[in-house]
Amino acid sequence: MASALVEFSNSLADAVEQAGRSVVAVLEGGRAGVSGTVWREGVVVTAEHTIRGAEEVTLVLPSGLTAKAKFLGGDPSTDVAVLKVEGQLQAPEFANAAEVMTGHVVLALGRRGEEGVSASFGMVGATGGAWRTWQGGKIDQYLRLDLNPYPGFSGGPLIDAGGKVLGINTSGPRRSITTIPNATVNRVVDAVLSKGRVTRGFLGVGVQPVAFPAATKTSLGLERNRGLLVITVSEGGPAEKAGVMLGDIIVAVDGAGVAHASDLQSALDPERVGQGVQLRVLRGGKLQDVNLTVGERSGRE
Amino acid sequence: MATAAVNPIHEAGISVEGELGAVAERLRRSTVRVLGDDGCGSGVIWRPDGVIVTNAHVARSGIQRVELADGREFSGKVIVRDAKRDLAAIRIEGHGFPSITVRDARTLRAGEMVIAVGNPMGEVGAASVGIVHSAPQNRSLVVADIRLFPGNSGGPLADVEGRVVGINTLVAAGLGCAIPSNAVARFLRGLGIVAR
Repeated sequence: MASALVEFSNSLADAVEQAGRSVVAVLEGGRAGVSGTVWREGVVVTAEHTIRGAEEVTLVLPSGLTAKAKFLGGDPSTDVAVLKVEGQLQAPEFANAAEVMTGHVVLALGRRGEEGVSASFGMVGATGGAWRTWQGGKIDQYLRLDLNPYPGFSGGPLIDAGGKVLGINTSGPRRSITTIPNATVNRVVDAVLSKGRVTRGFLGVGVQPVAFPAATKTSLGLERNRGLLVITVSEGGPAEKAGVMLGDIIVAVDGAGVAHASDLQSALDPERVGQGVQLRVLRGGKLQDVNLTVGERSGRE
Repeated sequence: MATAAVNPIHEAGISVEGELGAVAERLRRSTVRVLGDDGCGSGVIWRPDGVIVTNAHVARSGIQRVELADGREFSGKVIVRDAKRDLAAIRIEGHGFPSITVRDARTLRAGEMVIAVGNPMGEVGAASVGIVHSAPQNRSLVVADIRLFPGNSGGPLADVEGRVVGINTLVAAGLGCAIPSNAVARFLRGLGIVAR
């Protein structure tokens, strides 16, 4: 008689073995090394924050051999770093993000030095739509995990019970795991491979939220209770070129009301660079529209 | 059968949770409480003739009170205690005790499910479930992603078929660590005790 329990246990070990062929150790990452995931031929991804600043890192491959990998580029806002490595490495199978449901069994994989692949067991605690990191990076899907993070797991994959990759894991707040889903990792990998970097939009303004008196809100017909007071204007930046002045209060971007600095993030996404954006500002008691072209932020800011 | 649409696994009278319960119950019968002055730990009936394996840090004195799952109490003689390996063997008088079966820990695969039974925090015969964190191969400990507490010390870590793969010993970075069954077997062989 077949045992459902033995079958389930074996299938988990099979999943770990299969996906583990695409998990590498990154010796220089973090305090005692982190993990990386083979994403495409010759391309390994890991958690950007763990190798920040490194131009070259040493990997321990699934075969047990070590190899040097070159840092191609990364995106601090989504915590994805892209590494180039020579040699035959097997990319994993990828899961369809749309099929991930609360309650699904998941495993977080890692590799530490020569100890082989390591796995922790948990489940999807909640799912949700796209969200933004505090650095403004757009994460295409929210996954809350009931799963313990262990040292060195960062950069390793989150897999389903069938061994298919859902994304890569990095450390979240309060000893939790943040999973960067496949779609987000792919976006960063594509940008790095094609342009050598992930572009980020630049408006050239520093803002601070300010509250409107109720009468002002009513008389001007404002959507939100707050606006964004312009407190710095970068010299030669897109905002200055378009005539934005210190003291302007931004009340809407492309017609949508803004109340927090993070409301400007959607105008800073990589695909917005070079495109137009319309700011509605309150200046001298009157509303007026300012059209500017989103610039590109330089450097690893 | 007419109701063929029913989940075939349930129809056959087996299910993951049912089997898990059965395995835990079998392990419970082979898990003892080792009572000392400072609380209690766990132990594993390794052989039906009354050889019990536990941690050295659980069996601190020469004579240990041992309580079986069926409630029987014994005065056990600590026949060997190795603080360095953190292993001890206790003998209780009698025969036909519900002993465990052993699996060589070196055959474990990362991701395989494991079950721990013990007496954590005053609880008797509590079970927890997890997976093998990394394949033990020839390492000195079986490392598992499983929740263990102090009273689990000396108790069994087993595979899904109830075969003991280690003696739960410590928790490091949230991971449960067990002395592998092959190391226990080596330890017992040194005493002239051979598994059944």
